[in-house]
Amino acid sequence: MRVLRVGSIYVLLGLILFWLLFPFYVMLITSLKSAGEIFTIPPTWLPNAPTLTNYVEVWSSIPLARFFLNSLIIALGAAALTLACAIPGGYALARYRFPGRGIMLYAILVTQMFSPVVVIITLFKVLTAYRLLNTYTALIVTNAAFALAFSLWMLTGFFQAVPQEVEEAARIDGCSTAQIILKVLVPLAAPGVATTVIYTFILAWNEFIFGLTFTSSVRMQPLTVGLASFISRFSVDWNYLMAGSLLATLPVVALFLLVERHLVKGLSAGALK
Amino acid sequence: MGRAPGVAVGRARGRGDLGRFLRRHRTPFLLLLPSLLLLFAIVAYPILDTFVTAFYKTDGAGRRLVFVGLDHFRAMAKDPLFRQIVGRTFLWTVLSVFFKTLLGLVAALLLNTRLPGMRVARLLVILPWAFSLPIAAILWRWMYDSQMGMLNLLFTTLGLPARTWLADPGLAFGATLAVSVWTGVPFMALVFLAGLQAIPEEFYEAGRIDGAGWRQEFTYLTMPLLKPTFAVATLLSAVWTFNSFVIVYVITGGGPLNATDILVTFLYKNAFEFLTFGPASAMALVIFLILLVFSLAYIRLYYREEVLAA
Repeated sequence: MRVLRVGSIYVLLGLILFWLLFPFYVMLITSLKSAGEIFTIPPTWLPNAPTLTNYVEVWSSIPLARFFLNSLIIALGAAALTLACAIPGGYALARYRFPGRGIMLYAILVTQMFSPVVVIITLFKVLTAYRLLNTYTALIVTNAAFALAFSLWMLTGFFQAVPQEVEEAARIDGCSTAQIILKVLVPLAAPGVATTVIYTFILAWNEFIFGLTFTSSVRMQPLTVGLASFISRFSVDWNYLMAGSLLATLPVVALFLLVERHLVKGLSAGALK
Repeated sequence: MGRAPGVAVGRARGRGDLGRFLRRHRTPFLLLLPSLLLLFAIVAYPILDTFVTAFYKTDGAGRRLVFVGLDHFRAMAKDPLFRQIVGRTFLWTVLSVFFKTLLGLVAALLLNTRLPGMRVARLLVILPWAFSLPIAAILWRWMYDSQMGMLNLLFTTLGLPARTWLADPGLAFGATLAVSVWTGVPFMALVFLAGLQAIPEEFYEAGRIDGAGWRQEFTYLTMPLLKPTFAVATLLSAVWTFNSFVIVYVITGGGPLNATDILVTFLYKNAFEFLTFGPASAMALVIFLILLVFSLAYIRLYYREEVLAA
C-alpha cells in the first residue's frame, strides 16, 4: 500500500516535471543541431552530429553582443535608479509615522498590479516629444519605475526588522540620517538590498513591452526584443535563436535561484506570515 | 500640476497648512521624494493623461484633436469584435488561473511529502518561472511549429495525431493558454509549498491520533489552513494572467484573425499598429478599471489577513 502511494507520487511528479522541462530539452537540442538538420521533417530527437558551432556563429549571424550590452546597461541602470529611490523611501516608510503613510503603502502594493499597457500610450507620446525614443534613458527610467513598488515594499520590511536601538546608538555617536541609512541600515539589511537589486535587474533584463515600443533601431534593442524580432522573418534560423536564447537566460536563471525564496515571500505578501 | 491634489481638494486646506505639514514631516517627505517623482512621472501622470485622451479624437501620433465625449466607449460597446475579446479575456483568465492553481497545488502537495529527491524536484519546478517570459514564448513558438516543431514529434511518437497548432483558431487559443499555465504553475507551486510548510507538524500529529486519513487531513486541516495563501495567490495570478501581453504577442500576435487576442494585445495593436490612439486610450481606461477591482479585492484580502495575524 505504502509502496503504491510513494510510487504514484513519483509518477505524478514525474509527469508534471516532464511537462515543465520538455521545452528546455527542445531548446538545448535545437541549439546543438546543424543548420541543415533544423529543417528536416519530421525533426529528430537527438542531433545526428551534435555541434557547438551555433554558439560561435550566433554572435555574427545576429547582433547578439550588442543586444547583451543594451540589456546590461538598461538592467544595471534600472537597478541603480530603483535602489537610489527605494533606500531612502523604504527607510521613511519603515521609521516615520506621517499622514498618508498607510495610503502610500497600499498604493505601492496596488502599483504592482498595473499593466504597462495602461501607461504606454502616454509614455510613448512623452518620450517622442522629448526625443528619448531609442535611448537607454527611456528604458532605464520606465523599468525602474515598474520595479520600484516591489523594491520599496521589500526594503520597508527589511528596514523595519533592524532594531531601533542600533539606530539610536549611531545617532548618539553623531551620525546624520544619511549616514545612518548608508552606514548602518543598508549593511544590516544587505540581503534585502541584494534581493531588490537582483529583482530589478531580472525584471529589466526580461522586460519586453517597453523595449518593443520605445526602440525601433536594432542597435538599441534589448535582448528580449532583439531575439523576438528575428521570428517575424520569413525563414527563422532556430538553431541560432535557441543558442542565443540559452546564452541570454542562463545568467539570469542563476541570479533568480539566489533570491527566489525572498521573491515568493515578497510577492505573496499577506499570504504568508 | 500646479498644486498638490488631495490636499487642496475636499479638505479645503490653505497654503499655510500645506507649508506647516511639509515642515513638520520634512524628513520622510524628502526621503520619499525621489520615489514619488518617479512613480508620478511614469505611472500616475500617464494614467491620468490616457484617461483624458480616451475622450478625444486623436491624430496618428496620439495628439488630442477634438473632444468627442463618450464616442469611443459607445463604439466599443457596439463593436462585436471588442465584445468577443472581452469575453475571451475573461475565459483566458479564469481557465488559466484554474489550471495554474490546480497543478500548482498538486505539485506543492507532492513536493511537501519530503520523500527523497524532493529538494532537487523543487529546484526543477522553479525553472519555467526563472526563465525570461519573452524567451519562453519564443521557445514555445518553435515547439508549436507544425512541421519542424518537436511537440508534434512528441505527439506522433505517442501515437497521437500531429496538429497545426497556431493556424487553427480554437487550437491556437488552447496552445497559448497552455503556455500561460506553463509559466504560472511554478509560482503557484512555490507559494503553496511555503504555505504548507508553515502548517505546524503537530496539527497533523493530532489529526493522526484522532484517526484521520489523508483525505480527512486534506479536507479539514490542509485546505482551511491554506485558504489565505490560496486567496492571495490566485488573485495575484489572475492579475498577471489578465495582463499577459508577451505570451500572446510573441506566439500568435493575437491571430489567426484575432482568435487569440486578449484586451492588452488588442489595445496595443489599436495604438501602435492601427494608430487609433483615442479608442486605445478608452480601452486602457476599461482595463484600468478592471485592474482596480482586482486591486481593491487584493487590499481587502491583505487587510483581513493582517488583522487576523495581529
